[in-house]
Amino acid sequence: MSWEHFIYFAIVSILCWAYGAYAAWKDKTKTAYASTGLGLLVFFAFIIAMWISLERPPLRTMGETRLWYSFFLPLAGLIVYIRWKYKWILSFSTLLSVVFICVNLFKPEIHNKTLMPALQSPWFAPHVIVYMFAYALLGAATLMAVYLLFFKKNHNSHFSTEMDITDNLVYVGLSFMTFGMLFGALWAKEAWGHYWAWDPKETWAAITWFAYLAYIHYRLMPKSDVKTALWMLLIAFVLLQMCWWGINYLPSAQATSVHTYMN
Amino acid sequence: MWNKPWRLQEGFVIGTGLIVTGLMLQFSMGPIDWSLFTWPANIIVLAVFLLLSVIIYACRSKVYGFRFLATYTCAVPALVMTAALTIIMGLTAQVSENSQPADFLGITKMLSFWPFVLLYLWIAFILAQVSLMQLFYFKWRRLPSLVSHLGLLITLLTATLGSADMQRLNMYTVLDQTEWRAINKQQVVQELPIAITLKQFIMETYDDGSPKRFASDIIIYTKNGDSRQATVDVNKPVEVNGWKIYQYGYDTAMGAESQFSILELVRDPWLPYVYAGIYMMLFGALTMFIFGVRRKKQ
Repeated sequence: MSWEHFIYFAIVSILCWAYGAYAAWKDKTKTAYASTGLGLLVFFAFIIAMWISLERPPLRTMGETRLWYSFFLPLAGLIVYIRWKYKWILSFSTLLSVVFICVNLFKPEIHNKTLMPALQSPWFAPHVIVYMFAYALLGAATLMAVYLLFFKKNHNSHFSTEMDITDNLVYVGLSFMTFGMLFGALWAKEAWGHYWAWDPKETWAAITWFAYLAYIHYRLMPKSDVKTALWMLLIAFVLLQMCWWGINYLPSAQATSVHTYMN
Repeated sequence: MWNKPWRLQEGFVIGTGLIVTGLMLQFSMGPIDWSLFTWPANIIVLAVFLLLSVIIYACRSKVYGFRFLATYTCAVPALVMTAALTIIMGLTAQVSENSQPADFLGITKMLSFWPFVLLYLWIAFILAQVSLMQLFYFKWRRLPSLVSHLGLLITLLTATLGSADMQRLNMYTVLDQTEWRAINKQQVVQELPIAITLKQFIMETYDDGSPKRFASDIIIYTKNGDSRQATVDVNKPVEVNGWKIYQYGYDTAMGAESQFSILELVRDPWLPYVYAGIYMMLFGALTMFIFGVRRKKQ
């Protein structure tokens, strides 16, 4: 098994996920579960086959990491769907997964790229994958905030279905962000000797974490204002962008971050 | 202002008060010297913090300001202002641990900047009050919240107070020679209770010449006469008597022919407590993910 076979597995998986997403819109819950699950099985079969043929877990290159994103996104989408029955979540997770699959199909040369020793850690994939999933969910929460602030007229209810969805997205997003951050800390201890070094990326990760915590606490506060809460989400997402790629353009963060080679 | 119940504005005034107090401390005493917090100073500070937290909790029915600490209305300004100062830190180039701040205020050494530390201390007091309240009025549905708050509190306190007890040393080991001295970040040589002989430096490269793996085959001797062989790889430190030994560097000009290997030796006696806090936060995040929002319906 090699990357040449990837396209066949990918197409079958994408078709299954797309059909599952369609079934979710049509309220055919069981079909959505089955189809998404089948797609995941097919995709995972490819990962296992790669694992066997490489004689090592496929976690080493960026391409292999993207392989795991592409797998975990629909899986997490399915979990969220089972938990809260949001019709759109499977479409969203499928779309994101397709983006990563396409990157792997059109940029295959990256698979041969070397990986420096510090990145050769079992923590690498989970650290990045859960962060990416958190970013995806918080991106969805941001879209909800934009919709409620600028497109839906006169939205002021604290307890609307839309606010429930937004809050749930932030809660799940923040849980995953916490996993990503703490996995990073546990990895850093093994690789660099300390779990937290206030590296620019870490500083901005802390800022982003505080920003979403501020939103959650503000929402629970008595007499809070819905519009202020939604604006907090927009600001938090801007801070998240700083953490994700913005620091690469910050003069203060140049050449001091252990994270700069990741981009 | 100051009519009960307090609102966000009172919280922001408290935070501003802490920043002003911090600035006065900064100008009168200079930046915080964390190296003063070595054992037993750190355990005394920790005991005082815990004692104060219990006293504040015990007086919460009498003093409104103490009760306010455990409210969402207090948490929001504390989080926003702490984030704001951390943003300033993220936007300014920070000087190294052993240098003086490069600006007159001290924000280029934010970790020693009094207002920054006071805001984090405020967060710690809030976390302690919330944890105590949720412990005394325990409810299963609040377990994710309790574990998250307590975990963050333990992590913050032990990581900060324990930092002065952490030793990070570099040891230059030369092939077939035994070394027991290492230098710390202040370039002071220290003798260690363990000695290391470098038996072999291992280097593998990719086709383009970039390093694929570098590692050291070493023999470690301890004071009680034991010795053991080990391979120290990047990402795979070896632990001996509370010291973690890391592969740190080598003679980059020589590459695979390097005649020496640089090891980093790290001892952090507070690490188990920091990890306890981290694992509690992981548990809190997991349960938060599983159970989601439990909101009171109006």
